[in-house]
Amino acid sequence: MLKADNIASVRQYFLAVGITICLIFILIARFFQLQILDYDQYSKKANTNRIRKVTTSAPRGLILDRNGQILVDNLPTYILNAVPGELPNKEETFALISKTLGVKPSSLLKNYKKYYRGRFIPARLAKDLTFSQISRLEENILNLEGVYYQQFPERYFPSKVRASHILGYVKEVDKDIRQSLNNPADYEFGDIIGWSGLEKSYEQYLRGSHGIQFYQVDAFGREVGYVDDFPPLDPEPGKNIITTIDINIQYSLENLMDGKRGVVIVGIPETGEILGVVSKPDFSPDLFTGRIREQDWNNVLYDPNKPLVNRFNQGLYPPGSIVKMITEAILLDNQDFDPHALLKCDGSYQYGDRVFGCWYIHGHGNVDLTSAITQSCDIYFYKTIQYYALDKLANYFRLFGFGDVTGIDIEREYKGTIPTTKYMNERYGRSGWSKGALLNFCIGQGEILVTPIQVFNYINILATRGEANGPYLVFPNQKNDSKDLTLDSEVWDRIVFDMKQVVMHANGTGKNADPLVGGVDVFGKTGTAENPHGDDHAWFIGWMNYEGQKFSTVILLENAGSGGAVAAPIAKKVFNNILFDLKNTNSISMK
Amino acid sequence: MIGTRSTQYKELPFSIIGSVVFLSCIGLIVLNSISQHQEGGFLANPFNKQLLVLIPAICLSLFIVIIPRYTIHKYSYPLYFIGIVIVLLPFFGSLHANTFRWLNLGLPFKIQPSEFAKVFTTIALARYLSDHTIQMKKFSSIIIPIGFVLIPSLIVMKQPDLGTAIVMLVPVLPMLYWSGARPFYLFLLLAPIFSMLTAFQTLSFTIWAFVLGAVIIGARQTLAMSVIFFFGNIFLGLISPFAWNSLTPYQQSRIISFLNPEKDPLGVAYQVIQSKTAIGSGGVLGKGWGAGTQTHLKFLPVQESDFILSVIGEEMGFVMIAIVLLVVGYLITRILKRAFLSKDRFSSLALIGIGSILLAHVFVNTAMTVGLIPVKGLPFPFISAGGSFLISSYLMVGLVINLSVNYAD
Repeated sequence: MLKADNIASVRQYFLAVGITICLIFILIARFFQLQILDYDQYSKKANTNRIRKVTTSAPRGLILDRNGQILVDNLPTYILNAVPGELPNKEETFALISKTLGVKPSSLLKNYKKYYRGRFIPARLAKDLTFSQISRLEENILNLEGVYYQQFPERYFPSKVRASHILGYVKEVDKDIRQSLNNPADYEFGDIIGWSGLEKSYEQYLRGSHGIQFYQVDAFGREVGYVDDFPPLDPEPGKNIITTIDINIQYSLENLMDGKRGVVIVGIPETGEILGVVSKPDFSPDLFTGRIREQDWNNVLYDPNKPLVNRFNQGLYPPGSIVKMITEAILLDNQDFDPHALLKCDGSYQYGDRVFGCWYIHGHGNVDLTSAITQSCDIYFYKTIQYYALDKLANYFRLFGFGDVTGIDIEREYKGTIPTTKYMNERYGRSGWSKGALLNFCIGQGEILVTPIQVFNYINILATRGEANGPYLVFPNQKNDSKDLTLDSEVWDRIVFDMKQVVMHANGTGKNADPLVGGVDVFGKTGTAENPHGDDHAWFIGWMNYEGQKFSTVILLENAGSGGAVAAPIAKKVFNNILFDLKNTNSISMK
Repeated sequence: MIGTRSTQYKELPFSIIGSVVFLSCIGLIVLNSISQHQEGGFLANPFNKQLLVLIPAICLSLFIVIIPRYTIHKYSYPLYFIGIVIVLLPFFGSLHANTFRWLNLGLPFKIQPSEFAKVFTTIALARYLSDHTIQMKKFSSIIIPIGFVLIPSLIVMKQPDLGTAIVMLVPVLPMLYWSGARPFYLFLLLAPIFSMLTAFQTLSFTIWAFVLGAVIIGARQTLAMSVIFFFGNIFLGLISPFAWNSLTPYQQSRIISFLNPEKDPLGVAYQVIQSKTAIGSGGVLGKGWGAGTQTHLKFLPVQESDFILSVIGEEMGFVMIAIVLLVVGYLITRILKRAFLSKDRFSSLALIGIGSILLAHVFVNTAMTVGLIPVKGLPFPFISAGGSFLISSYLMVGLVINLSVNYAD
């Protein structure tokens, strides 16, 4: 190995070196030609015929209500950009701009630093400029080398409703946001991006695509025309989305909830369309458009009532008695169960070593199933449910849509909690809890937590006898939830009958919800949920049947007291508003 | 061998090491300029990436330097087969940027196996040519070595990566010449390619015909052979335009896009115009570090790898370009000198092969940036940003240092 001697000759060596030197020399000669002989030509080309790439923002799609009324619109504003490498004297230019526009030079400089990304990339100096400001600027444009303005569509909210948690807000894309995106290449700094609510869920529809124009600019930075090689690409506006919201219903709900804490949802049970939904306290949708003071922003951010939290899909609440129809379904699903049998309620019930009370401490006396629902007697359900397994209860809760997301098109929906044996064992240990927990669950207390949107889905399931579509906010929606909920029609008949008694019967806990209008049937259930955060949460869920059309509602008032006393009257107003709307404007057309 | 460490140390090719260090530093300075306004994470910045890749590259280089030379010789054939296997592997994976160039091992970076295969092929060829004291005067004896190189090259061409395939093919001619093959035979190998390429223009074809005739007469072949060679080539040249025209436009575009896979929507001509504008506007001293308008307005395509020389031309001017090219020329001639002085044939041939690879990279890349040849995606050694390419360049440096030290045995 390696035995063979090198036999290369001097001639071979010289030829190899000669070829190398030749090739290198050819290359150097070519550079000499380009950089020294043709310098003037290329220098002119690079400097006087500079190409400026300008991207124009596409207006976002509009958000409309179900009748085409505009909920979110675009406001044409102007932004002012500067190309750092083309500014002859930054201080002088900024001084002139600030004099012309009436903005502080310090804010120009602050923006300039914030948006600076390179000598030749436009940096934003100011935004939200009006047409009159731009007109004044245009008069001085010859003295403002390297500065130019562009149209920039901002979001604004022309309608009377706030709907802040539905519509959501947009943000300006900055470095951090861009890095957090899956598709950073689609966004530039300063673009707006949907950050919550429908703005976020439907970002792909709402956002358009940038227009790109290549301008030739002369030595003074003035645009002298398009570049032939690159035809301008027009911005493509985003698509509009039509929501299921009815602007009148939404407005009336917002007024009903003014000054309260809680959630109201109104919708159509069969389709799952939401006509109006309010989560209070809320915030002004203008909050995020950048035209507000820092003080207002801090007020919202640090408000102890947390107005930014979207309560209808992120608020977790004990449901209380509104889930008693699930317990009823379990009982009725058993052939041996006799709904007419009378059980005595004397205000408390001892199970194992614990005493469980009824909300009505004097006791309801002898009650059957219908009167137990109508008067929301707890003892009746303690006595009947104790023979069932906890997991059977949990299973029925799941069949009615609890413990999982409803799939509403607003992001970050919470699942809530439906305790199972496994859950209880993991949380408290095998011997850390007793079967008495079951008695709590059957009346919607204990570890059970639900979101209002799940409750809305639940009332829709009840109103449609299991045929409801999942809730949604934007048309069209192809979602088709095939729930495995199959109950006998007699079971449904009884549940629906009992729910009617809750509102129509003289002893019904929900009688305050009756709009007292002829030809209108109302079905419902109240709930008064004990919770560790203070006074009871008041619930009312129900639907109204008017000329074959059903409208369902969920009302939740945080720490407001008894459902029948506080929530049911709100429901009455809700139903009255719908009826008023149907009879007068008839804006709730079936889509 | 062990006892001669101190003499080995003195024999280390400091001129070569110095040139490589200089070129790497220039590369980092330019990449830092490009990286100024780079968006994205730490690794999206080519300067950081280059620094990070340099660590394994230098380690690999040092490792190659300390392993015994006979080990390289011994494992040159197995490495050749590994080279073929790794250039085949991407075909079993998924397409990246419409090619099978990269190997995705699930790591945060992708590997370009052809960069390593080209080095392995050259080393194996050096071994073959040094082991077989064949009669190089015969035409038939150069066929096997050519087949040797053609196998991996064709695979790489199919990936498709014409640039790397060319670089892989290039060393075989100088190495054959170095081992004593008649230059005339090498000329005969290339002649048909020139005949076909020049045939599309009357003037170039006429000049070529004269050159061809002169070389054939000078080679003093028998009359019959001379006539066959000459008219064979002329005939090939004459029919090529007709053959080309008889193809459907679809077939033509297939061939063009095969030869030119980098063709982008803006057109290759655009890249060259922007590159020439960048270089030309740099002038003698350049526009200054970080001040290149063409570079920073992103008019220069693939500026951190294929067109990095245009950035140097624009920002540092003719002076720095000349220095860089002279240093590269110095580096390659030093390698040639070591090849000439080498005592054993294997080392000598391997050094010639590596020198040819580097020269091919430098020439193709530079000639492309100044518009002398069509655009081929090849980076500039030690300066361009790159992962696999940088590591394979340092692998070659390690081999050069190892093979250029003459043992006393």
